[in-house]
Amino acid sequence: MILTVNGIAHERDIPQHETLLGALRDTLDLTGTKLVCDRGECGACTVLVDGEPHYACLTLAAACEGVSVTTIEGLAHGDLHALQRAFIEHDALQCGFCTPGQIVAASALLARNPSPTDDEIRHWMSGNLCRCGTYPKIIRAIRAVADARRAGHGG
Amino acid sequence: MAGKRFTSTTVDIEGREETRVVELPSFTPDAWGDGAGLSIVGTSALRADGVEKATGRARYTSDVRQSGMLHAVILRSSIASGKITSLDIGGALAVTGVRDVLTALPGITRGGLPLFDRTIRYAGQPIAAVCADTEEAAREALRAIRVTYERMPHAVTAADALADHAPRVRGDNDNRPDDSPRTLERGDIDRGLAESDVVVRAEYRTPVALHTALEPHGSVAEWEDDRLTVWEATQGIFMIREHLARAFAIPMSHVRVIMQYMGGGFGAKNGAGPHSYVAAAFARRIGQPVRCINDREAEQMDAGNRPATVQRVTIGAKRDGTLTVISVDADVPIGIGGWEGGPGQIYHEVYRCPNVRTVDRYVYINASAMASFRAPGHVEGAFGLERAMDELARELKLDPLKLRTINYATLDQKKNRPYSAKHLDLCYDLGAERFGWSNRQASNETHQGARSSLRRGFGMATQIWGGGGGPPAYATVRINSDGSADVLTGTQDLGTGARTIFAQIAAESLGFALDQVRVVLGDTERTPLTGNSWGSITTASVGPAVRMAGEDARRSLLEAAGELMKAEPSALDVRDGVIRAPGGTQTMTVHDLMDSLGDVMIIGNGSRGPNPDGISLSAFGAQFAEVEVDIETGIVRVLRIVAAHDSGRIVNPALAESQLHGGIIQGLGYALFEERVMDRALGIPMNPTMHDYKIPTMMDIPDIDAFFVGGADTMANHIGAKGLAEPPIIPTAPAIANAVADAIGRPVREIPLTPWRVLYAMRDERP
Repeated sequence: MILTVNGIAHERDIPQHETLLGALRDTLDLTGTKLVCDRGECGACTVLVDGEPHYACLTLAAACEGVSVTTIEGLAHGDLHALQRAFIEHDALQCGFCTPGQIVAASALLARNPSPTDDEIRHWMSGNLCRCGTYPKIIRAIRAVADARRAGHGG
Repeated sequence: MAGKRFTSTTVDIEGREETRVVELPSFTPDAWGDGAGLSIVGTSALRADGVEKATGRARYTSDVRQSGMLHAVILRSSIASGKITSLDIGGALAVTGVRDVLTALPGITRGGLPLFDRTIRYAGQPIAAVCADTEEAAREALRAIRVTYERMPHAVTAADALADHAPRVRGDNDNRPDDSPRTLERGDIDRGLAESDVVVRAEYRTPVALHTALEPHGSVAEWEDDRLTVWEATQGIFMIREHLARAFAIPMSHVRVIMQYMGGGFGAKNGAGPHSYVAAAFARRIGQPVRCINDREAEQMDAGNRPATVQRVTIGAKRDGTLTVISVDADVPIGIGGWEGGPGQIYHEVYRCPNVRTVDRYVYINASAMASFRAPGHVEGAFGLERAMDELARELKLDPLKLRTINYATLDQKKNRPYSAKHLDLCYDLGAERFGWSNRQASNETHQGARSSLRRGFGMATQIWGGGGGPPAYATVRINSDGSADVLTGTQDLGTGARTIFAQIAAESLGFALDQVRVVLGDTERTPLTGNSWGSITTASVGPAVRMAGEDARRSLLEAAGELMKAEPSALDVRDGVIRAPGGTQTMTVHDLMDSLGDVMIIGNGSRGPNPDGISLSAFGAQFAEVEVDIETGIVRVLRIVAAHDSGRIVNPALAESQLHGGIIQGLGYALFEERVMDRALGIPMNPTMHDYKIPTMMDIPDIDAFFVGGADTMANHIGAKGLAEPPIIPTAPAIANAVADAIGRPVREIPLTPWRVLYAMRDERP
């Protein structure tokens, strides 16, 4: 099959029952997307499928032929995505294991709703678990990007 | 340089005091006091590995891919107690891609029990392992293994394990470890009771909590002749080295352990586990690299836990609030093993009281072994002690904070000696001020009425923890010919920020800009030894060694500069990577200096010196909580937490604040939702998933105002820092529970405060 990830078309033999998460991590060696619960409970494997957030652990790779998959590795056009920069600047990450999923989910939020309230941020992001407890700073980081975009500067 | 000398020192690790013989450092830098004029230490430098983590480039153990790597998975018992009567691996061996099956690992033990054993002592116990070309084939083979069991009676609660004719969980004793119960007493309890005007007696219960680190335990192992390289998700690379060397009967120097990034530890990842032994054993038998990573169910079933407690507390005071007696009798069912961090200790430590008696009764049960979990013992004990203090305050009609300040302890009560520094009074004062503690009833009234079933409540609690650190810890600083510096130290960064703060400390002591310094850690072959990242000791243990290595390298650098600049080295100074002669007459960058020296390296070494004699090193804090309870549904919402902590010098305020948030949020989960549910009849945990074992989500997060008070503790060590990772989880649950009790006007004696527990508490009943 042909799996288009981060703008690159990969032709690979991927079994029909393989998950998108397995294909990304084990076939394409894109290990930024993390496996944590393997059953759609934690959000660590969040990727974009045609711009919409999906749990890669619950998505079949075979269902992704002809669509465009974006992972944490392909989120930035250039150096860093504004959310990546904001997560670093606000220390919105500790161990970093949930971070790729958090940033990808947040990018989908801002694409859909450029000016979310804090309650909207909390609601949208509540499917992405973090055990280190960085939530307050994740809210700050997302808020900062939204505010900067509204003010007309920053990616 | 003076000859080497060795001395004895004591180190406090998670409440256990160890005495060690250590090497005295060849020199000790002057302590960095609050007026030391530091320019990099004390700033919120960005996390050194932030870009790697935010871009997904950071390679965690579970991301390691070696050429020819095979996959191992572990079969686990589905029953709680019994014997394996047959184990048929024929079907597994027939699966395409299967390379090897293990049903025994002779000589390898865990907690004194064989790793793969025909005797089953708990549900989730490893009984066999499969290695295959792919993880999928390994899992298919696992399902093809046929196991038959002879079931035997089990005991999964302390009461069941202590009953007459209880099943013998480990076979060889009465379900009590040799030193259980552990009793510690000062003064005279009976006299204390006789002197009391008011006595509160209550029983408090805390749940089994699961670490639930997002990255599970895991290992990738690779042999070259009799040398083993292991990538391991661990808090202690040198401890893993020791465990694997012992298990495979090879010298420690033949084992290399690497840990560059880890997705959370929280105390559960301190030593080798089944995954480590299985990966290394298969890799040796087959001659290819082998990966063995827990799946989520294994992680929640058998990767450590905070044990449950039942704490029977008696606390008494005179009418004026002066404590006369504190007593607790606690049951701690630890599983089939584990070390014993009891709830009793904190009862001795926090308040001034002449008569204190604690009994920690550890009990073996048919459940997975406990492991240290962020402030083990103190988290459990703080719930009982701080709830009892609030119940006592209510009886005495005293403000709960007032009762605590009346009984403020200036000395370490347990060891009868002074603290190096103690600013708990400031935590109380500033925390109460920022919370608005004295105005809280007024605010309660203004919030009533929106919905009549909502009740506000306010509570607070205190925290004490060690975290003074100690030897051994070593560091090397290398100044490279391009003018950059590498810090080498064998510690690990669990997400705490070790990489960042040690770069800050090294840059400060070298006189370099922060971006000239890089920290190399997490590799036993490439870095000098330090201990595990546990007990909140890493900053206070490794920090002084890093600073000393930086000072040592700086001395040599200035001697070289003196030669080149024709100046007296002692008159030279270096800051921001520029060397200056007195009066600014002459300057030279470190880059130019190293360039002139040619292809050389300047090396500095540092080690952690002993702790001061006769002084206790502790971190303190107080937290204040505001909650809203719906008395119709029993649902608790935490609205606000104010946290004031004293952990000595703060090397990086932003990263330290992140640690406070993390502790508070884990404490909130412990207070409200987190609980391993065990089926008592079957002996099997019922909720080993992230959906059914509930950790806090972003929807649960209150407004958090977390900050530090006090300043550098120069008596503790020469960087003035103490531990801060574990302290913030200790007072959160009792502060929240005290606020819930305040809201509903009834005592709260059991967590987590799920809706039904709240509704029962309102009727003074237990479910």
